[in-house]
Amino acid sequence: MTTDGELIQRAAGGDRSAFELLYQRYARPVFGLALRRLGDRGRAEDAVQETFASIWRSAASYKPERGPGAPWLYAVARNAIVDRARGRTDLPAEIPDEADGEPGPGDRAEQSWVSWRVHRALEELPEREREVISLAYWSGLSQSEVSEFLGIPLGTVKTRTRAALAHLADLLGDELH
Amino acid sequence: MTEFEDIVGTEGLAPDEEERLRRVHELLLAAGPPPDLPPELARPADPNAAQPPEVPLLFRRRRAVAAVALIAAAIAVFAGGYAAGHSHSKQEAFVSRRDVSMHGAAGRAAVIHIGKKDAAGNWPMLVDASGLPQQQSRAAYYELWLTKNGKPAVPCGSFRMHGHTTSVRLSVPYSLRGFDGWVVTAQANEETLGPVVLTT
Repeated sequence: MTTDGELIQRAAGGDRSAFELLYQRYARPVFGLALRRLGDRGRAEDAVQETFASIWRSAASYKPERGPGAPWLYAVARNAIVDRARGRTDLPAEIPDEADGEPGPGDRAEQSWVSWRVHRALEELPEREREVISLAYWSGLSQSEVSEFLGIPLGTVKTRTRAALAHLADLLGDELH
Repeated sequence: MTEFEDIVGTEGLAPDEEERLRRVHELLLAAGPPPDLPPELARPADPNAAQPPEVPLLFRRRRAVAAVALIAAAIAVFAGGYAAGHSHSKQEAFVSRRDVSMHGAAGRAAVIHIGKKDAAGNWPMLVDASGLPQQQSRAAYYELWLTKNGKPAVPCGSFRMHGHTTSVRLSVPYSLRGFDGWVVTAQANEETLGPVVLTT
């Protein structure tokens, strides 16, 4: 599989197919990051477009010797999203007196990076594995209901779920420690 | 249901492997679901669109180009009208600006080809659906919806299957911005919302 870094380098040379492949891999993670940061779908959509325009424009600044492509893409996305957030002028009607128990900036950054990596890894799964993960974790269905929904035996659902998790474990590597 | 034992089970797992899968399980819960991409983001925008415009042609050359374009357009309109008037059996080619994939259980799928919005604000769409069961009841049909928060929000047209694959042309007058996806429901009638059979 072509690495993200190789695709960025090809995009720097004007390769549109490499750019489109990067888009397929990262559109969802970028959109998720923008949604969490901006809290508004319309603004998040614009941020995705701006992020990929930035990737296209600045791909030549990527230096593979400094590390893999994913962190570089994350930095470009974060900058584009922060720029869009700065453009926001509406202030909260009331400023709270006390801390609200929400995670601090450090925790949010960690959370964003984890989501970025996990969502990116999900894009790599075969469709049938991604489907069982999505149904098992986020649809509210039990594994028996997933089995019924997909029309496959319960044992197959469980085997496929384990295979998907093992596949994700390989893809996420360093996040597991 | 978010317990590791319920989703994955531990039977037959070596301790090391169980630990590895548990960590992925926790990461999935921490990450939450990836968002559905709205139709507007199904494909990347032209990355060169924001580039500075090219140096304009000289005025006289532009006039010549415009004249050629007008003549070409007139010929195209005439030829199009002639073709439409003399060939009812051939469908006009659909020019897609964006494609949205939908999927469902057991290999059911569809692709929504979205054309260019016309001056009045209509979005033409060509829907290629495959694998959906043909309706047995005369009253039954499939309905395509734009969704908000994953739930059907506005209808975009209905169709019936007449084979393994069915292509239908639909049109919606809504701005596609502000919606988060598409679903197809299987309608037994018009009174109640049917189950979702395809999603983006």
